Amino acid sequence: MAVVSPSAPVAEGRLLAVTSPGRLLLWLWGAFCLVLILVAVQDQMHNPYIAWWEPLLWEGSSCVGATAWLLWQRRHKHRFAPYLDQPLRWFGRHLVWSPLLIVTFIGFVYGVRHAVYALLGGAYTHESWPFVIVYESLKLLLFSGLWLGIIFGLDSFEQWQAQRRHLLELQKSLAEAQLSQLKAQLRPHFFFNALNTISALMHVDVERADRMLARLGDLLRISLQINDREMTALREEMRTLELFTQIMQERFADRVALSWNIGPDVLDTQVPMLLLQPLLENAFKHGVERSVGSVDIGIAARREGSRIVLEIRNTGSALPAEHREGVGLRNCRERMNVIYGHDATLQLTGDGDSVVVTVTLPERQA
Amino acid sequence: MIRVVIADDESPARDKLQRWLRELSDIEVVAHAEDGLQAAGFIDEQRPDVVFLDIQMPGLSGLEVAAQLEQEAAPLIVFVTAYDEHAVKAFDLNAVDYLLKPYDKDRFLKAVARVRERLGDRQSRAPAVVTARAQTGSSERLLVPAGEQLQLIESSSIDWLEADDNYVHVHTPSRKYLLRRTLQDLLLQLGEQRFARIHKSAAVNVAAIASLTPLFKGDYEISLRNGVVLRLSRRYKDALFARMGR
Repeated sequence: MAVVSPSAPVAEGRLLAVTSPGRLLLWLWGAFCLVLILVAVQDQMHNPYIAWWEPLLWEGSSCVGATAWLLWQRRHKHRFAPYLDQPLRWFGRHLVWSPLLIVTFIGFVYGVRHAVYALLGGAYTHESWPFVIVYESLKLLLFSGLWLGIIFGLDSFEQWQAQRRHLLELQKSLAEAQLSQLKAQLRPHFFFNALNTISALMHVDVERADRMLARLGDLLRISLQINDREMTALREEMRTLELFTQIMQERFADRVALSWNIGPDVLDTQVPMLLLQPLLENAFKHGVERSVGSVDIGIAARREGSRIVLEIRNTGSALPAEHREGVGLRNCRERMNVIYGHDATLQLTGDGDSVVVTVTLPERQA
Repeated sequence: MIRVVIADDESPARDKLQRWLRELSDIEVVAHAEDGLQAAGFIDEQRPDVVFLDIQMPGLSGLEVAAQLEQEAAPLIVFVTAYDEHAVKAFDLNAVDYLLKPYDKDRFLKAVARVRERLGDRQSRAPAVVTARAQTGSSERLLVPAGEQLQLIESSSIDWLEADDNYVHVHTPSRKYLLRRTLQDLLLQLGEQRFARIHKSAAVNVAAIASLTPLFKGDYEISLRNGVVLRLSRRYKDALFARMGR
């Protein structure tokens, strides 16, 4: 368990700083002392044998002595903090100090009272010393028990608060790290092949080579943007897929037939950037690149209630019975998990010689 | 003339190679294949001196094509690949060369120069094929001619192999295939694990043996699961028995 450092940064605003458990304790203590003194003064007000300053001195000296010990506890609270989740040990660690507390408290308080009375030419009379010691010890134990209870509650609350804040920060940074890990990368294989196609096209059709180079540039730009952006409109994502398929069609020409079926009502939905790209790349990798004949690839997006269903289907690659998911698919799944929790699904199904990957996301507008 | 086969499934990539090869007067492109099986077929049919072999191809990858070649009769191989250089770097550069896509004309001409040099020497071509076999687990599948085409069969489905001069008959429960390869080379590819020599010109799939019956002079009679009866010669008896745990 982590020791909570008293200097832990307080992220919340001033309001919370004023009411932080540490400050609240000091306010409570101040009020307690004030009440103690006021009650004592009021009690003796009508007693003709007692001067007005006497109850002030009695209770005042007690308050100063007790405050010194409270401040000592506050100063050393981090020593006790590790035991906050074991209340008995926490109280035990404090109890060890009670003999010293009793001796110093009685010594200080009675010393002050005797000194003040002597200075004013009087004498401080009180019960016999054995009685005083027993009486004051019991009172001290009772009150320190009470205040330790309050301190324990406030400190535990403070520690819980700090831990929760720490945990939230940890979760946030973990999620960010995970997301950057999981973000889709275009396969280097794709880039090198595309470059080779351009290098071949250049000799026969400069315009076409030029167009393809521009598309590859756009695609590269988009794949670099992903470092700054997490989500994008489905419209943009579809444009990315289109760029990708245009390049693939140059490479595979008549070996692939594409069909798009995108509902116009879903184009503004926000989706994780480049989420679909690796899935489409898989369709090419397992469908087109491994088939001698022509392969159909279908890309569809539609609304189902408050959910968005995205589908990529390719022929030419039956799903093996013992199917192991590749890195691309696994990363997509984990990324969706980080963004949507259990609210999104990714399903891979075989249908004859077709493979369909279906992504279902909750609708999100920009 | 140096006879060349090109194999790449992407037509722009094929065209580029073809264009540059055609500019060279000592080279003749005899065929271009669009997938792995076609490449293996052209190599078998044309017996080229060199093959420019793309690695990522449908059906059979470039590495798998190389693994199915006969060790000593294999053409020189120049692998062409976009990103699998780690696979290609396993090959000894003396045995093959490789081109990483995209490559320029200087690099291409360097590969051709290396090919010319290698064609002149008498070094064995076996290491390239051996490396390709080691990388692809080629003992599990065998490329055989079926009519006009080539096809892959599982080596576990083979009952026995019968040598016939420079050919081998591959017997499976459903049919018989004729391969232009030596029994020696085929056993090197399929591995000692599954197949055992039973006499000079035959080997059996150990799993296909149904029973053994002793004959005179230490020879044995082997009955296979499909009813075929073969002779086990004394010379190979001990090795087979050791394998079968007897």
